[in-house]
Amino acid sequence: MVQFGQDVIGGLGFGAIYALAALGLVIIFKTSRLVNFAFGSMGTAVAMILWTLLSAVRLPLVAAWLLALVGAAVVGALTDEALLRRIEQAPSLIQITITLGLFIGIEGLVGVLWGYTPKPLPELTSGGSLRVGPYFLTPDQLLIVALTLVLAAALHFVLERTRLGLAMRAIAQDRDTAMLMGVPTRRTVALSWAWGVLLSGLAAILVAPAVSLSPTMMDQIAVFAFAAAVLGGFGSLAGAIVGGFIVGIVGNLISAYLSTNFQLTFIFLLIVAVLYVRPHGIFGSAAQSRQ
Amino acid sequence: MIRARRRGLPWPLLAFGFAVAFPAAYGGNTAIMSVATQCLIYAVAAASLNLLMGYGGQVSLGHAGFLAAGAYTAAVVAIHFRLPLVPEILAAGLVAAAIGFVLGLPTGRLHGLYLVILTLGFGVAVPQIALNWTGLTNGWAGLAMPPTTLWGLDLTSQPTLYYCVLAVSWLCLLAMLSLVATRSGRIFMAVRDSEAAAMAMGVNVWRAKVKVFTTSAFFCGIAGDLLAHWTGLVAPTSFPFDLSLLFFSMVIVGGMGSIWGSLTGAVLLVVIADQAASVGGLSTAIIGGAVVLTLLVAPEGLASLPRVVSWRLRRMLEREAPGEIGRFRNRDQRVRKERRA
Repeated sequence: MVQFGQDVIGGLGFGAIYALAALGLVIIFKTSRLVNFAFGSMGTAVAMILWTLLSAVRLPLVAAWLLALVGAAVVGALTDEALLRRIEQAPSLIQITITLGLFIGIEGLVGVLWGYTPKPLPELTSGGSLRVGPYFLTPDQLLIVALTLVLAAALHFVLERTRLGLAMRAIAQDRDTAMLMGVPTRRTVALSWAWGVLLSGLAAILVAPAVSLSPTMMDQIAVFAFAAAVLGGFGSLAGAIVGGFIVGIVGNLISAYLSTNFQLTFIFLLIVAVLYVRPHGIFGSAAQSRQ
Repeated sequence: MIRARRRGLPWPLLAFGFAVAFPAAYGGNTAIMSVATQCLIYAVAAASLNLLMGYGGQVSLGHAGFLAAGAYTAAVVAIHFRLPLVPEILAAGLVAAAIGFVLGLPTGRLHGLYLVILTLGFGVAVPQIALNWTGLTNGWAGLAMPPTTLWGLDLTSQPTLYYCVLAVSWLCLLAMLSLVATRSGRIFMAVRDSEAAAMAMGVNVWRAKVKVFTTSAFFCGIAGDLLAHWTGLVAPTSFPFDLSLLFFSMVIVGGMGSIWGSLTGAVLLVVIADQAASVGGLSTAIIGGAVVLTLLVAPEGLASLPRVVSWRLRRMLEREAPGEIGRFRNRDQRVRKERRA
């Protein structure tokens, strides 16, 4: 039983990463009705920038972090401004496809610029694992989980209590009406892209010490995060968090008790099963996924 | 329609003639022949995906899974049953089609994102299943294709393999092309353009979707069979997610809803990948860039390029030549001059 609990805890760290990345997807989806499939390789690019800032420019850790995240936000806003705005009127399949093209392109570009040799990013915290009752936790895991929950709470606050959040919710409900009511739709959508890519970048930076930093590092994590967002019902913050943790914990249990190789297969089986019962995800409603 | 077809050159025939003749120009250079074979195999896979996306209006991010199903069937059938080539190819297609049928069943309920996650999951799961089902697939090590002969010709040596692949792939492309011209093809397109309208016309939408999924998987399975002969080894690592993305890119670059476009896209991207292989990531970057550029500049892909270019040219010529518009403009000026006088 203790072992089982330990395996559940072991999944928390990655669960939080998936939740963060899924949050980034959901924020973008809420305003622009698009899935940013490029989030994985965008995150990798941010982590690579951080590595350069730390190892080549030798900035202090906090400054490098801030710079990398600002870079992520700029990339997000630029993607919306420079690319997606130009094909606003195109069918959604075309718009989704362009983010897939970006995913491939950025991954290749990161490979060309930084190469494929794995690079180390320092762990965020030092010191041995903490002991809570019979269970062990690494400080990094704890930090990642805490950070994810705090960020989710902050996002919830922004969405529900601020003018920007109100604008986002208005756009999510009906973009044209929001525009007619004087909501600055373009700026708000660009901002949500900035936030979304920032969260993807953060997820990549946080996971980089655990897996080694390479251009394809986020491939599998991106698939899991996308799965988490679908599981939670695209368009719901709580769904992204819950979906992320479910995928993380179940994934860890599968690799502990069944087979490491089968992790993805079983996660997808789980998702198919959930979608069969609730076709719009755990927290989703029919209206949200109707396009 | 008929007039337009008569006026244009018989491009498919010319391309086929080129494909038949070009090995002579290179004197059987095996490296080039190998790339050419790969082009043809990937063209069938891309065209099968195009059948699903461009004509059926569905999405699949897991077509490498069907390719794997076809390749593994080919290897198992060739090793255990020693079937001749033609039944082996059919078996590969049919096994993939059966999987496609099962995967297509929920498409009546699943749309957009949920279909993406289903096909994505399928594409990722197939290599993992192959890895773990060691009794059938030999796990990591994979299955080596036994040497195959067709009418006494050795299929492992290069010009023979190329011509065999050329014949099969051309048949597949032509079959897909004639399929979209039939009643079934029209139904696929009707469902793609508007499910509600198709339903109102008496089309069974769900059946059409399952049908297009099954057909697409069938042709992709055949491509998998050809791939098995080309690589000589079928292993779980040969069918990564990147491969599904590559087929997807070929369809987009070549143009959705054009079988010949997919052939063009496949040839272009395979050649790019081959040329840029020396620098890690370069080919991926170029392919991704090509997808983005295509969507921004010509969303209907390379296939629409002749049409777009000729339209632009005609408009430019018309502006310069004293055509209808020019004459009217002159008259306008004359009228204005008379009024002033």
